[in-house]
Amino acid sequence: MIDALFTWFDERLGISGSGRKMLNKIFPDHWSFLIGEVALYSFIVLLGTGVFLTLYFVPSSKVVIYEGTYAPLRGQPVSEAFASTLNLSFAVRDGLLMRQMHHWAANIFVGSIVVHMLRIFFTGAFRKPRELNWIVGSTLLILAIFNGFLGYSLPDDLVSGTGIRISFSIVESIPLIGSYAAFFLFGGNFPGNSIVPRFYILHVLVLPAIMVALIGAHLGMLVRQKHTQFPGRGHTPRNVVGSPLWPTFIAKTTGFMFLTVAVTGILSALFQINPVWLYGPYVPYKVSYAVQPDWYMGWLDGALRIMPSWEIVGFGHMIPNVFFPAILLPGITFGVLQMWPFIEARLTGDHAEHQILDRPRDRPKRTAFGAAVFSFYFVLLGASATDVLANYLSISLNVVLTSFRFLAIAVPLIVFPVTYRICKEMQSVPTAGQRKRANIVLRSAVGGYTTVRADQRPGDAVPRVDPLPLDEDVEFVPAMAGIPVVSDDSPAQSRPEEPAPDTSDRPRGGIFRIPRDYR
Amino acid sequence: MTASHATWRRALLSLALLVSASFVGVFLLGGGRAEVYPSGNSTEVDATSLTSQDSPAAANQLAGGRTLFVENCSTCHGIDASGGDRAPPLLGVGGATVDLWLSSGWMPLAEPTAEPERKPAKFDRAQVLEIVRYVTSLAPALPGDPGVPSGLDISHANVAEGFSMFALNCAPCHTITGAGDALAGGIQAPPLHGVTKTMVWEAIRTGPGNMPRFGPGTISPAQVVDIVGYVVKDIQRPVSPGGLSLGGVGPVAEGFVGLFVGVGLCLLAALWVGDRAETEEDGEHDGHDGPEGPDGDEDGEGGDDHRELAHA
Repeated sequence: MIDALFTWFDERLGISGSGRKMLNKIFPDHWSFLIGEVALYSFIVLLGTGVFLTLYFVPSSKVVIYEGTYAPLRGQPVSEAFASTLNLSFAVRDGLLMRQMHHWAANIFVGSIVVHMLRIFFTGAFRKPRELNWIVGSTLLILAIFNGFLGYSLPDDLVSGTGIRISFSIVESIPLIGSYAAFFLFGGNFPGNSIVPRFYILHVLVLPAIMVALIGAHLGMLVRQKHTQFPGRGHTPRNVVGSPLWPTFIAKTTGFMFLTVAVTGILSALFQINPVWLYGPYVPYKVSYAVQPDWYMGWLDGALRIMPSWEIVGFGHMIPNVFFPAILLPGITFGVLQMWPFIEARLTGDHAEHQILDRPRDRPKRTAFGAAVFSFYFVLLGASATDVLANYLSISLNVVLTSFRFLAIAVPLIVFPVTYRICKEMQSVPTAGQRKRANIVLRSAVGGYTTVRADQRPGDAVPRVDPLPLDEDVEFVPAMAGIPVVSDDSPAQSRPEEPAPDTSDRPRGGIFRIPRDYR
Repeated sequence: MTASHATWRRALLSLALLVSASFVGVFLLGGGRAEVYPSGNSTEVDATSLTSQDSPAAANQLAGGRTLFVENCSTCHGIDASGGDRAPPLLGVGGATVDLWLSSGWMPLAEPTAEPERKPAKFDRAQVLEIVRYVTSLAPALPGDPGVPSGLDISHANVAEGFSMFALNCAPCHTITGAGDALAGGIQAPPLHGVTKTMVWEAIRTGPGNMPRFGPGTISPAQVVDIVGYVVKDIQRPVSPGGLSLGGVGPVAEGFVGLFVGVGLCLLAALWVGDRAETEEDGEHDGHDGPEGPDGDEDGEGGDDHRELAHA
């Protein structure tokens, strides 16, 4: 039956040749190559649940009287968008679960994109010939963040409405064109009636369509260019070592898809997200203290919070304070992000093709730079929780705010040299991160035990340290140095057959110098 | 009690005009539909019954309140409640203020220099009201004193109206979920969980600490009851389907869970599905001199732990 069906298609489309080639496609097996698939499968969850939500959500700012089941809002004027969100949550079967899955999947989607991107960055997978795919991927990140913000804003609740108000002000802060741009984008002055329908069509049609196209291009380029792989036995720039698409990889990745969806489902069933009924409808003159955006916008919120109140005035115009953290910072961030493959090639002068990945330790400067930049944005993300931290730690909000200003500068400056040093140290210890080899203890037939010592890796061996001869005119007093004195003919150190002495190298009084070239 | 209640109240109304204690009068004039609970089925001790001081029971209770005050309050507030270096005078502050600060555990302070913090109340309800009676007996209350509400009834509160008023007047500091938060300069808007309806009412009317005072001209007595009803019914026991509420602090906690639980679990799943031992199984990395590195024998015997184990 399946054979007949396949033959029917094959005779008309001629798919067997290219299909076989596709099924034999080799994908490497390393677990870190699956992070991008988390994003892919979260996106599928987003599409599926999103379609469900559109069946019940009404994208309208029209004010209606809420007559649903939630008592604290009954009889209150709310927008149709808000009322339909409540209806979706309380009255539609599985509606709340779908809403929560959609929201949690969005969090996981953007999160896994970021982790995926970190993997690409730190292993150098963005280098020639994959610069184009890096640009497509980073564009997807920007669109994902933007679309997440739009979706977060759609329920028209008190918290998200505050976020729209902030974004309106951010657009207004652009010099020269700000107020025109804001009126154009938001359909007149805030709040107006256009925001919800405009955000809706962008959120459910325009941006998803672009993202689907870009994801297709992303995967197409991946197949066309073949996957990168870590250095290893038999791994060359001209091959890919791994599992064929059919049957091994398809089984793995399908199972992995189910796991990703399961995680989303578990989160949605156990943890409440965005309970808009507690927030109430958005009214411009009402505001709740302590509102944050979703975490992927949090670094921008944090930057807004800790930015000192500087404003530049010149030529009769003022550049508002908001412009620097909310327009300039993301502009530079995303600009550098998109152009990074070319920036790095320029800095290193390395324009060669690379099919084999770097281990992060082998590129200490890039690794340290990436870690420092990442720590900067992590501090900004933390800064969006200043009030929550101050509340839970019972310290002054002003202290927390000032601390984050210092941390935003200090943490990257600390992370860079520390990471660099760690990379260098790991380079010089080739077995770092690997397990030591086991010593095997054997029991003989008569009950005796013998130990078979494993070969030591170079990093396992403790170097023999020779005493540095004292200067003639220095009199060494062991008691002053607090070192126990063991005479040279002590029986404690009589194990001459040990290649790498351990106990015998106990300090014996004296000044020691580790030879530089012992490795 | 029930029989004598009307008599007492009549006496009190005339007395209130004289001494301006007047909280009963304020409530009657304000027309609060549930703030004065005239029947005798209130479980609370009737706070109004003893502002006149001529019955033996009243005298006893005043004496009890005076003892408690001298023991617990007078060190800072002065033996005659006229204040001192460390504490404000309590003359004329009104019963609601005294009741709120004692019921919330803010007073007495843990130590004389500490900031007030919420803790279990030191006194039981009867003791608190004895102190209230004693303090309010010392001086006539200042104008606008709301008095201690007796028998506050929120069973008919309009929680929808209360929610709307709450979002307008309370959420800017206490947050819309009532979780409380840190304000500027080390000031904290406390969480609204674990407080009684009387305390919420008194806080709105008296404005403790940095909180503004919302008098009858700002929020009508009916609206206060609506807000109290919303806080006690829907903030302290929210309709909360969909799982754990994560502390009511919104996207901060959600982002934490999403990143560290959600993405974290997915990464663990990847670690499970994917190959995590690529470097070990494939021997040492090229370019690094492991034991088998220098002689180029990467495919040889040295690099494989499993082979060694099998051999042994």
